[in-house]
Amino acid sequence: MQEELILRNISKNYAGVQALKNVSIRFRAGEVHALIGENGAGKSTLIKVISGVVQPTEGEIEIFGETVRDMTPLKAIHKGIAVVHQEMIQFEGMTVADNVCMEESVQKEGLINREAIYRRTRELLGQFETNINPSDLVGSLSMANRQIVEIAKALNLNARVVIFDEPTASITVQEQKDLFKLIKNLKAKGITVLYISHRLEELAEICDRVSVMRDGEYRGTMEMAQTSVAQMINLMVGRELGNLYIEKQPYEPEVVLRAEHLSGNGVKNVSFELHRGEILGFAGLVGAGRTELMHVIYGAARMESGKLYLYGKETQIRDPADAIRKGIGMIPEDRKSQGVFLDKPIAWNITLASMKKFRHFLFVDRKKEREEAEKYQKSLRIKAASLESNPSTLSGGNQQKVVLAKTLSADPDIIIFDEPTRGVDVGARNEIYQLMVDLTQQGKSILMVSSDMSELIGMSENIVVLHEGELTGKLSKEEFRQNRILELASGIE
Amino acid sequence: MNTLSQKRAPQFNLKDWGLVILLVLLIVFFTIGSPNFLNFSNIRNILLQNAHVAIVSMAVAIIMISGGTDLSIGYQMALASVVSAKMMMSGVPFPVAILAALVITVICSTLNELFSLVLKGHTMIITLGTMSAYQGLAYIISNAQNFHNLPDSFLLLGQGRIAGVIPVNIIIMVVLFIITAVVLGCTHAGKKLYAVGDNPEAARLAGINVPRVKLVAFALAGVLTGIAAMVLTARTGNATATTGSGLEFTGITAAVLGGVSLKGGEGKLWRVIVAAYILGILSNGMQLIGLGTYPQYIAKGVVMLISIGLGNGVFSFRSRKKSK
Repeated sequence: MQEELILRNISKNYAGVQALKNVSIRFRAGEVHALIGENGAGKSTLIKVISGVVQPTEGEIEIFGETVRDMTPLKAIHKGIAVVHQEMIQFEGMTVADNVCMEESVQKEGLINREAIYRRTRELLGQFETNINPSDLVGSLSMANRQIVEIAKALNLNARVVIFDEPTASITVQEQKDLFKLIKNLKAKGITVLYISHRLEELAEICDRVSVMRDGEYRGTMEMAQTSVAQMINLMVGRELGNLYIEKQPYEPEVVLRAEHLSGNGVKNVSFELHRGEILGFAGLVGAGRTELMHVIYGAARMESGKLYLYGKETQIRDPADAIRKGIGMIPEDRKSQGVFLDKPIAWNITLASMKKFRHFLFVDRKKEREEAEKYQKSLRIKAASLESNPSTLSGGNQQKVVLAKTLSADPDIIIFDEPTRGVDVGARNEIYQLMVDLTQQGKSILMVSSDMSELIGMSENIVVLHEGELTGKLSKEEFRQNRILELASGIE
Repeated sequence: MNTLSQKRAPQFNLKDWGLVILLVLLIVFFTIGSPNFLNFSNIRNILLQNAHVAIVSMAVAIIMISGGTDLSIGYQMALASVVSAKMMMSGVPFPVAILAALVITVICSTLNELFSLVLKGHTMIITLGTMSAYQGLAYIISNAQNFHNLPDSFLLLGQGRIAGVIPVNIIIMVVLFIITAVVLGCTHAGKKLYAVGDNPEAARLAGINVPRVKLVAFALAGVLTGIAAMVLTARTGNATATTGSGLEFTGITAAVLGGVSLKGGEGKLWRVIVAAYILGILSNGMQLIGLGTYPQYIAKGVVMLISIGLGNGVFSFRSRKKSK
């Protein structure tokens, strides 16, 4: 069979971190080829290499028998490579036709022939069952329709290879069926489709072959028809856990937080218990509703129904301020947009959520504030030139420690860690784990959302698994198996 | 303990002091250009003629730090001015009239943020609307009349001198500056204001009531706007539906030149005041050196562009310093 796209010995280093190690994969013409792996396995980097966004440190790409070494985004487009991104990068205020035919405006000068681009867009859209109009504003379309616009745009550029990055992460089940029809349509035209997804159960329906990545390495390619989900999971994870994780004392029997049939913010009917001194993990795929659940508990999103018990007493949490007053703290998922104020001094950041402690008459007690910041700088080992410098000058790990200090300064009893080590290097990671264990030994309890499977298994004592907003399983330590968690998270039961 | 007590040697930073340098350069330039510039009475004139501008700039700064904009400030002032003037003309004691003026500006200003919250629009757009409404109100209430013959005791606010030397309105401006600077820099309310403007989502998750902080910011700005309106009315001795119009842009100019971020969450009050007075010195000085009205516009534009560059650290002497 003809091979359109061949990757040979691709390696990529990011400032000392090896994101890709000697990856070689061959993609055939007209196949739908799935690319799977855990977060951080190197899938995104691989896409970026193929589409010319980043240059590989080593290796080469062959497309239609032509070897390309210095791929750029523009070159990739001209060679017929198109990417449909998960977060679609589109001009939302422009019409569908303007988006589909944007490349022309990049290349040419002068007047736009509106008639022509509308006609061409209508022809391209006509290949799919859709009611999109070329004059519709892209911003007004559903996610699924926006995907179709992206595909039409790719076809307009005569794409031969179309890469789908998590296309089903943000669309409904019905839209997913339409998408699969569309992909089959592309396949019938002889176009090669690269399909990246975390939802393993959907791959069999659409893909011909599947390639697995793990820790930046290529682990093999299999015929989809002869592969089970369990086999894929085995190839994806099969890694021994190091001693990154710290043994902790078992938790106490007291239930500090109990959720009963909690619904709201996309979460449906979730119940769980958190014990004093426990680390309770929350597993699930992107979009499973874990962060959304944490926001409900923290009062940052509305609880529609269900009950929340704090120390056995039913409680309403109105807003984050109320949560902090009641002893709940949260380290948010997205450090930069929700956690840290990058351009405000470290000491300013640390004392933000606990201001009341530093009130002196009407004013801020600067001395006390400084003492508090110094206390946390010391105990969390925040590496910074001065507490007056801005977190924008710090590494990811140290920024995360500033957020930790901010949350801890408000003296929470229950702490939500949402992706505690995302974008944090291994050294700081270990310190954060140690801190979590220390906190539980002081009698504090932790809810931990994590997409890092080994972190979940290494740190949690119990794991709650969510799938599309619903609880699909609760596992205790002896039941922890990566395959089992992934199965529950994928909703295969 | 030790990390903080080791205070670093103060580093001279052109970005921080650019405005002050510009101020000094302008003073030197005009002193050379006109013998009438640098003397006590002219400097006092500049200070007192721009006191209300400085006060408005503080109001604008508070609003912009909270992440908002207020284009209606000029007409809030007009409204406050004509209402209080009308009250005084009909025999209401002047303190009551002043109070009424302040109540009006606080309500107008708070309404701006309230509309923004309810209608989910940025205050820039909201105040484009309320600007027009407040303007209409001011014209209706004043019946497009010019009020003068205001009571002498009221005029003292803008024309009086303490000990015959220091103008009352300068004192008012300085006192307001100190209070506002302390609130912004030394209180938790000030810290919350910066946090809300910098990153509302992070502020919310840190337990700050974001809408409340914004409403309070607009209310405080309303107080300042009202006082500015009274100071201006008392100095000029008359009130019309155009009193104060256009000052919102002077205020925004001063705030932006003073380093208040258009995105919110950033800015120091003293610099805003310096910027306000740079604008004041510029128009005074250009008049004294006999520059025509139209060249004045051009010169003003050029100076503004230069000060933007200074504020962003575009002009740097660093390389020269290093080579030493």
